[in-house]
Amino acid sequence: MSAIFPSEEWLKELESKLNSDERYNEIARNWEGDLFFFIEPEGNLKEQLTFYLDLWHGTCRKVEYKPRADAYPNPAFTLSATYNNITAILTGKMNPMTAMMTTKLKVKGSMSYMMRNVPTVLDFVRCAQEVTTEIL
Amino acid sequence: MKYFDLKMQPILKIDLTTRKAEEYRIPKQWERDFLGGASLAARILYDELTSELDPLSPEAPLLFMTGPMTGTSGPTTGRFVVCGKGPATGLWAESNIGGFWGPELRSTGYDGLWVTGRASEPVYLWLNGSRLEVRPAAHLWGMNTYHTQEKVKEEVGEKSARVCVIGQAGERQVLFASILCDHGRMAGRTGMGAVMGSKNLKAIAVHGERELPIFNLPRYKALRSEANRKLKEDNEAKVMREVGTAGAANYAEYLGAMPAKYYSRGSFPAVDEVSGAKMSETILVGRSACQGCVIACGRVVKTPKDVAKRKGPEHETMVGFGANLLNDNLESIVDLGDLCDRYGMDTISASNTIGLAFHLYEKGIVTKEVTGGLELKWGDVDAIEQLVRMIGSREGIGDLLALGSKRFGAHFGAEEDAVQVNGLEVAYHDPRGVSGMALSYATSPRGACHNQSDYFFVDWGHSREDIGIKFMDRHAQAEKSANVARHQDWRTVDNAIVMCLFANVDAEEKAALINAACGLDWTVADMMKFGERSWNLKRAINNRMGLTAQDDKLPKALLAPFPDGGSAGFVPDLEGMLFTYYEARGWDQETGKPSREKLSELGLDFAANDLWGGA
Repeated sequence: MSAIFPSEEWLKELESKLNSDERYNEIARNWEGDLFFFIEPEGNLKEQLTFYLDLWHGTCRKVEYKPRADAYPNPAFTLSATYNNITAILTGKMNPMTAMMTTKLKVKGSMSYMMRNVPTVLDFVRCAQEVTTEIL
Repeated sequence: MKYFDLKMQPILKIDLTTRKAEEYRIPKQWERDFLGGASLAARILYDELTSELDPLSPEAPLLFMTGPMTGTSGPTTGRFVVCGKGPATGLWAESNIGGFWGPELRSTGYDGLWVTGRASEPVYLWLNGSRLEVRPAAHLWGMNTYHTQEKVKEEVGEKSARVCVIGQAGERQVLFASILCDHGRMAGRTGMGAVMGSKNLKAIAVHGERELPIFNLPRYKALRSEANRKLKEDNEAKVMREVGTAGAANYAEYLGAMPAKYYSRGSFPAVDEVSGAKMSETILVGRSACQGCVIACGRVVKTPKDVAKRKGPEHETMVGFGANLLNDNLESIVDLGDLCDRYGMDTISASNTIGLAFHLYEKGIVTKEVTGGLELKWGDVDAIEQLVRMIGSREGIGDLLALGSKRFGAHFGAEEDAVQVNGLEVAYHDPRGVSGMALSYATSPRGACHNQSDYFFVDWGHSREDIGIKFMDRHAQAEKSANVARHQDWRTVDNAIVMCLFANVDAEEKAALINAACGLDWTVADMMKFGERSWNLKRAINNRMGLTAQDDKLPKALLAPFPDGGSAGFVPDLEGMLFTYYEARGWDQETGKPSREKLSELGLDFAANDLWGGA
């Protein structure tokens, strides 16, 4: 199964992938931290988009599409990118480390934790890429 | 191109033999073409640096240079550079250093300090505004760097004075001795501390109150604010601030780009114990910054046994005394880094040369008879510490280790085992994990250096599209060469203005800052051409001193695949990379010299005539 980004179906599909992908389950087995994404309007995205994932020990405990920012006031990481940059990552046109190192993907949270867990981050992106068949 | 005559400050030139000082006015053409820092130093010293010159002789120059933005609180511009001829390499030497000393020097009214000669007895210099004193330092000889700093500051009686010093390693001319200022900031590489020691010069204290020249101050202030604001938000800067330069240890290890066990292993499973992240989570109690820097990558730590706070290790020290020697004890790395700082020696060259001793001991080439009974067992912290002390005091085997890995290896008939290029030890970014570093090390003008082009950042993912460098696979080969050349030019600009490599300032912004500071109207292309000119000038200096294409090489260990880790099985195709690199550079494939046409195109006709003959 796969889905169009961005959509609630896509996020549900990603949740399912993260819970069933053995490689991710293994690599992310020590990860503890939820993610709140802000996607800034650009191109086909006309207004800001938010989504939320709660990642815990190699599984995804919860997702929410278009939550209000105050619904999750203290996520472990807040990630922000423009629509074109996030879709470039999802389609493999932009290396996720390039996005982080050039601040095209802005990161707020513990950099210490992030740097310790780069393999988990990269495998999370792999899963997201694998469920993305089409971009809006 | 417009040029508005910045009126750079003069350089103060002092001959320690005669104790005579004079002002050296920088020729106007050189200001425009070479700007400051290492580039201007290279032009000034071009005629001085000959193949016959003994780098530790009284005749050898030692030039402390600032850049046109040093001390102006521009993004990470509180730096200066120390230049001369490397005692271990016999090549062009430059060593970049932060802290507060450079800005203070500029405030005296001088952009540089050029030291020649040799004092008959140990001395230190006290430059207070335009007044220079040569003071006796026999009572300081034998003191470590931090004590010397404190003592000199006390003696000059000026609280705002800044002091750069050598330790016992510099006094004893350890070939990788460094110069230290402020909170453990080091001109670590290329042995400039040994050159300072050879002149019987223990310290230089400076204090000034002059306003620094900026061509267009209102514009510069606006650009500076915006650049610093962006830098605070930059992800890499956040990593440096929160986790320090050793913050990338886990990622480097994951890629198989962090060498272990003297470059023989591509993985170090204990990396979690000796990383910037671990330091942040355990012993970090503060951060330190150089003048005007918004990043603050410096670590302040306190281990359980410490009574006072002290400096924590940065990346090279962490890997050099950690994975390189199979040591997973973080607190011992703090101790070893601190010990090197106190002796005043480069932690990369020290840990690398010690690694070679362990490696040759394992092979049975270095024996207990040679080490004075010391057993060199990988990860043995006591043995490592003893070797550091023996180098600093030049006792026993330390006297041989003090010559660096090339000479140490050669002494035992094992020069090929030494992981160095042209006498400078390789840093801890392995080209088998990040292939661009193969060219960075092989072609750097000062030996195996990771700061003339920190291309590992690009190979980790940091593309630089603002200067035409797109991301390529970290194991790409000859197709990467032109990018590396371009990246070297880019970093040569930084080493001229003297800006820290950790500042992610984009190209347009950097050119605008230079223009506002210096009264130029550079485009990004002009700025990159400037970098190329300076890179070729340093190459010409080295060619004149005997460097050829045969010297652009890598040590044997880096051309054998790692047996394990994220880069197992890969080796860089150095020959292929060099061929396309020379093409991109416009260098002669046979001799390794920049072509006459290239030198002329860059306005370096004097060098063209020197290298190729003619008027």
